[in-house]
Amino acid sequence: MRPIGADQKTAAQAGGVSSDEGTRPMVLELRKVTCAYEVGRAAISEVSFSVREGEILCLLGPSGCGKTTTLRVIAGFEPVVEGEVYLEGHLASAPGVLLPTERRRVGMVFQEYALFPHLRVVENIAFGLRDLPSVQRETQVHAMLAMTGLTGLERRYPHELSGGQQQRVALARALVQKPVVLLLDEPFSNLDPDMTRKMREDLHDLLRRTKTTAILVTHDHEEAFALADRVAVLNNGCLEQFDTPEAIYHTPSTPFVADFVGQADFIPGIVENGKVVTEIGEFPNQVGYHGGARVVVMIRPDDVHIAPLANGATRILARQFRGSENLYTIGLPSGQVVHSSEVSTSVYPVGTPVELQVIATHIVLFEQDRVRPPDR
Amino acid sequence: MTTTIRQTVPPSISFLALGVAGLICAPLMYIVYLALSADSAVWSRLWNTRIPELLFNTVSLAVSVSAGTFALGVSLAWLVVRYSFPGRQVWEWALVLPLAMPTYVLAYVYTYLLGAGGPVEQLWQTWTGPEGRVFSPYSYAGATLVMTLDTFPFVYLLTRAALLNFNLSYEEVARVCGASRQRTMLKVTLPLIRPAIVAGLSLVILYVASDFGAVSLLRFQTFTYAVYQQITGRYDQAAAGVLSLLLVLFALIFLVTERWFRERSRFYQTTGRYRAPARKPCGPLGTGLITLYMVVVFGLAFGLPALLLIHWSGSAVAEGAVDARFLGFVWNSVFLSGLAATFALLVGSPLAYLASRWPSRLNVLCLQAAYAGYVLPGPVGALALLVLFSHLAPFWYGTAVVLIVAYIVHFLPAGLQTMEPALQQVTPNLEEAARSLGLGPVRTFRETTLPLVRGGFIAAWVLMFLLSMKELPATLLLRPVGFDTLAVRVWLEASEEYYKLAAPSALLIVIMTLPALLLLVSKDWRAA
Repeated sequence: MRPIGADQKTAAQAGGVSSDEGTRPMVLELRKVTCAYEVGRAAISEVSFSVREGEILCLLGPSGCGKTTTLRVIAGFEPVVEGEVYLEGHLASAPGVLLPTERRRVGMVFQEYALFPHLRVVENIAFGLRDLPSVQRETQVHAMLAMTGLTGLERRYPHELSGGQQQRVALARALVQKPVVLLLDEPFSNLDPDMTRKMREDLHDLLRRTKTTAILVTHDHEEAFALADRVAVLNNGCLEQFDTPEAIYHTPSTPFVADFVGQADFIPGIVENGKVVTEIGEFPNQVGYHGGARVVVMIRPDDVHIAPLANGATRILARQFRGSENLYTIGLPSGQVVHSSEVSTSVYPVGTPVELQVIATHIVLFEQDRVRPPDR
Repeated sequence: MTTTIRQTVPPSISFLALGVAGLICAPLMYIVYLALSADSAVWSRLWNTRIPELLFNTVSLAVSVSAGTFALGVSLAWLVVRYSFPGRQVWEWALVLPLAMPTYVLAYVYTYLLGAGGPVEQLWQTWTGPEGRVFSPYSYAGATLVMTLDTFPFVYLLTRAALLNFNLSYEEVARVCGASRQRTMLKVTLPLIRPAIVAGLSLVILYVASDFGAVSLLRFQTFTYAVYQQITGRYDQAAAGVLSLLLVLFALIFLVTERWFRERSRFYQTTGRYRAPARKPCGPLGTGLITLYMVVVFGLAFGLPALLLIHWSGSAVAEGAVDARFLGFVWNSVFLSGLAATFALLVGSPLAYLASRWPSRLNVLCLQAAYAGYVLPGPVGALALLVLFSHLAPFWYGTAVVLIVAYIVHFLPAGLQTMEPALQQVTPNLEEAARSLGLGPVRTFRETTLPLVRGGFIAAWVLMFLLSMKELPATLLLRPVGFDTLAVRVWLEASEEYYKLAAPSALLIVIMTLPALLLLVSKDWRAA
């Protein structure tokens, strides 16, 4: 049933995961984990994935999909109903088993950072280090302050810091304990959008330098793509796809993933003579659907190009200027709508008849009845 | 009220507000004048005889009651918010009920329970023989017990609200940082809800410092009781003025300190994403222990006293105590309190309205001045009005007018606190929106302003009515001859140890206070 893209294998290998992937030890493993806040209503069901040392994993999905619940299960805040969670090879959660949070050695950065408002920056960072001798504690805290660029702010209280500084204190507080895995719950959602790009780069750099294994929750696919080695897409508590960012984008395994990680159009077609025949052309039938099957082809706007014509029924319905690109909405004769991304200098008035050129490197097919009309 | 929007204040309202503020400040000013103009011999006599003892007693009572209410209030709030056990919701609500018991009612019940030959002593003597003695209620310990049982709900309510609004992420972060449950509670949760606990304790301390009912019945010498004795026993107004000034200073210093502390910890805001607190389920043993604890505290503070009152009232009614004379006391109480609450609402609303709509320095100052009644304990305010009226308006002296003015001065702050938020809900934008939709000024007021403030104003009226009805010291000092209220009857009968005769009046006060208490608490409930 699983639709296969044109070159999924190569896409996966082209991803950011380095070649020693297979040799690095597994830090965290979830096996068919189900968690329910109320009996009979699972917040996540049968979620399985694993994270290797030093890897950055993104849990991506819309709000209410269970990504934060997954994080809380890993942290030990929520018990599991079914399945197991292993941390460094040891069983941490299972039905009836719940290793207390304070003994899991996980680090966590909360969405609103949750810096202790009654403690100064240094006291916040040193909160988890009380077992160390004070000299060692001080050295570690100061090393962490320097690494996160917080030197000079030691004596401040959290309310005296900017949003970006607060985030760095929260990171420092979690990292100074050298956690087995660092959990980040939407770390950029409370920041000014102008700042997030810079903060994202800084975070990525910091995680790589400290060789931290991290799991990051986000609803923003751009953020996930920019940061993650691998992405787990969740929807309604189920894991839809677990793969590299490139594979998630180019060869989504479900229509939901296709639509969630970027603009996508679903063009209906019928399988005839080993080809998928659609209104905008023919595509190879890679999955091997039987003749006469009703399928849809997923196409991204960057695969569609337009050229103006003197005459025709395919016309531009709308143009949205996005700075680096123009996003055109094209109406086909049947009423079907396709989007096309053009460079920002190519401007055509609305109503212009156009010709479509579809240059798709990755063809993704789904059965027609699996596709819901997209929300946007 | 508003015929035009965002124009200058109608001068008549301004004058009214100034007048009201002046009226309310007058007693405070007069006390200061009375004390400072007292002969230096009075000062040195008091300094050598009374003041050290009174100061020591008042402060040590405040300290011990704070400690007691802290232990009870915080532990009860913690159990009710953080654990789940059968009957939790009932206890959550029942633990507020002691606030419905005026201190003089609780004190009078305990003089019976703990007194010589009382039931507790008899029970004790069946164990220890006829020589066994329990501690006397007429003591520091007795006053501490009664005041603690009566005021712990202040700490309980505020701590509970803070715990319910507590951002659980702080605790989770502490756990992630390797802290155990206990360390999390001590290092994170308690420090973060400290402002709420302190606010509750400061209410308790002000309550203790200004209480007259319990200390007078338990004959424990504090400032309020001493002021009363100077006025009634020794007819020494200068000495009473000196003691009053000291008490007012005590309250002021305390209030300023508390304000300073609150400013300093303003950043302790712990709000965030709301998540229902995870209640820890209790096993049978835990449930048993918690229930026992709640039963004991609730029983001592409300259940047992209420049962005794009902029992005594029953026999008093059977003996014909509820007669026309008793109904007269009821009428006196209702009549006086009703008038006082209505007038207080009338004079208070221009103050609150001006300060919220035209917050000029003068208007805000007027409102602040109206809060002066807070630092004027009952006997002190009564003393000031007594002397003021006898000098300035002798024809009103000894009439109900003086009493009503005393109630207004004393209870307007509480009413204003309820009225102000209601008025602040009505922003000029709302009225402007109504006007832009074609409503005239009168309809704007009737359909926009009035419905929004009505709830708050009714609550303020009910609150001031009940506070006036419970009021004891000013009523004792200022009432017209032979004009007794329910509160006065309770105190007079209880002083003579006529326990049964005092019961019907006391029970009636408690019963009438209950709905208002629920009204006030339900606001807190909704916020939580």
